[in-house]
Amino acid sequence: MPAEAGVLGSFGEPSAAAGAVRALKGAGFADVRVAMPAPFPEVVLAIGKPRSPIDFVTFPGALVGLLCGIGLTVGTSLAWPLVTGGKPVVSIPPFVIVIFEMTVLIGSLTNLLAVSLGSWHGGRARVFPGQPTFNADRIGVYAVGGDPALAERVLRESGAEEVGRVG
Amino acid sequence: MSLSFERLQATVQAAHGRPGRGYWLLLALAASLAAWGGWAYSLVVRNGLYVTGLERPGCWGNLITDFVFWVGIAHSGTLISAILFLFRAKFRTAVYRVAEMMTVFAVMTAGLYPIFHLGRPWFAYWLFPYPNERGIWVNFRSPLIWDVFAISTYFIVSTVFLLVGVAPDAAALRDRAAGWRRRLYGILAFGWRGTDEQWRHYTRAYLFFAAFATPLVVSVHSVVSWDFAVSVLPGWHSTLFPPYFVAGAILSGVAMVIVILVPLRRWLHLEEIITPRHLDMLSRLVLLTSLIVTYSYATEILTALGEPASDPERSTFVYRMTGDYAPLFWLMVACNCVGPSLLLAGKVRRSVKALFTISLLVNVGMWLERFNIVVTSLAHDRDPFSWRTYTPSWVEWAMTFGAFGWFFFWFLVGLKVLPPVSIAEMKEELAHEAHASGEAAHAG
Repeated sequence: MPAEAGVLGSFGEPSAAAGAVRALKGAGFADVRVAMPAPFPEVVLAIGKPRSPIDFVTFPGALVGLLCGIGLTVGTSLAWPLVTGGKPVVSIPPFVIVIFEMTVLIGSLTNLLAVSLGSWHGGRARVFPGQPTFNADRIGVYAVGGDPALAERVLRESGAEEVGRVG
Repeated sequence: MSLSFERLQATVQAAHGRPGRGYWLLLALAASLAAWGGWAYSLVVRNGLYVTGLERPGCWGNLITDFVFWVGIAHSGTLISAILFLFRAKFRTAVYRVAEMMTVFAVMTAGLYPIFHLGRPWFAYWLFPYPNERGIWVNFRSPLIWDVFAISTYFIVSTVFLLVGVAPDAAALRDRAAGWRRRLYGILAFGWRGTDEQWRHYTRAYLFFAAFATPLVVSVHSVVSWDFAVSVLPGWHSTLFPPYFVAGAILSGVAMVIVILVPLRRWLHLEEIITPRHLDMLSRLVLLTSLIVTYSYATEILTALGEPASDPERSTFVYRMTGDYAPLFWLMVACNCVGPSLLLAGKVRRSVKALFTISLLVNVGMWLERFNIVVTSLAHDRDPFSWRTYTPSWVEWAMTFGAFGWFFFWFLVGLKVLPPVSIAEMKEELAHEAHASGEAAHAG
């Protein structure tokens, strides 16, 4: 999917990139995107996005795991009510172990699914121009739309090492 | 910035360079050991468990000792990557990837043992709950089934945790690799591009993985301890077992991380990344968990000695300390309690050779601890008529050493496929350090 028209700046320092993001937002650029080799806190703060909503997938996933654990242990024990060792057919303490493991297992797998879907969807909705260096040692700040000349000026003034137009 | 992003990545990438003769020799040695263990196991499959030294009352021996040992080794990875992540312990960054890799391969090793120990391993799938034609389900009240659930969950969650952590690093390596390595890193990167949107979901998900994995670490070895503690055998039937086993697992796991890291940092030229400070912090963990283990030993021994002379619990512990296996017991105490106490001295902690030796001995001691628990309790139960010593046969020793071969074979392969250090987290830490030093210089 091609990236929208915009201006891309490359930074070596996270603090400079964070400053550029703030300056671009201050200059009226509503869509500012960043690619970076690590989640630098100052840049994340400058972007100012709300917390990821994957909580709303992971927690229900864990809850499903809990219910699966209860269903598996209690349901199968009642399906063949065989008394072993004189213990109750539905023995809660030992079942808690299996229920706990199921909660963690399905919760973790749902979390994996959520982060995969979130990243995939985020990549499609907010395309970033292909620059392999942003996984290595540079931080890319990409101002989408708006006045390209203004974006270029703001990025240069913020300390960008390289600035270029995209699209 | 003491270490640049560029240099960090180049150092980690260099670890994946063309392997030398030493690597191939080690790999061949590990594969040979694993093959020897596999051959020994084939004798068990073909002839039955009678080729082992197992006989009543010693129905558990080396194989169960190995199982508990390898589950314990598997604990350090998740402790270092998940628990220390939640506690924001910065020193974990440089060392947790190796520990995570160790965890996955150690669980792969541990998981083999319950199957080895089955009389008819081809029926191992009976341990999993599935709707079958007999209409009967597994017994969820059995510790064996708890193990199946705990170990399977731990293996899956640890593997997911490892691979999720690898994705940003694989993307960084992918962009500079060529040929089959580029394709491999591309697969491991899962389409990672490092955008703010990806990081937003990733950091949140990573926190959840850590939050799920943390109670899992505690639960897995607690479940393993219940294999023993829910029985009524003297020396096993103790409420102390879960915390005692978890502390022991962390002790052996962290000691194994040190045993692996010390030669690894030299071999892969990671000295700039894995510094003496990291080893010092790990050695403090060894010291802490060793003190907990020592306290546990003292608690169970003193509690037993407080009982009347006719008490079976007391009899078992006196037997452990003075009976047929006494030399192994005291060697265990020396390795797990006396040795690590030397780490109280900063000079010892800072000596790489001393730290390596102490950690290696801790691993020997922790294997002996499991042997003492498993074997001495069975050899000296409530009924003096059935007292009998157990001696492992060569088949069991072959399987024990074969497990080390199996573990190190996968570990050595993993070292050439997965980045041994978390590049992304190291970059974050380096940027933080540079920012802090810049501010300090500015203030100065």
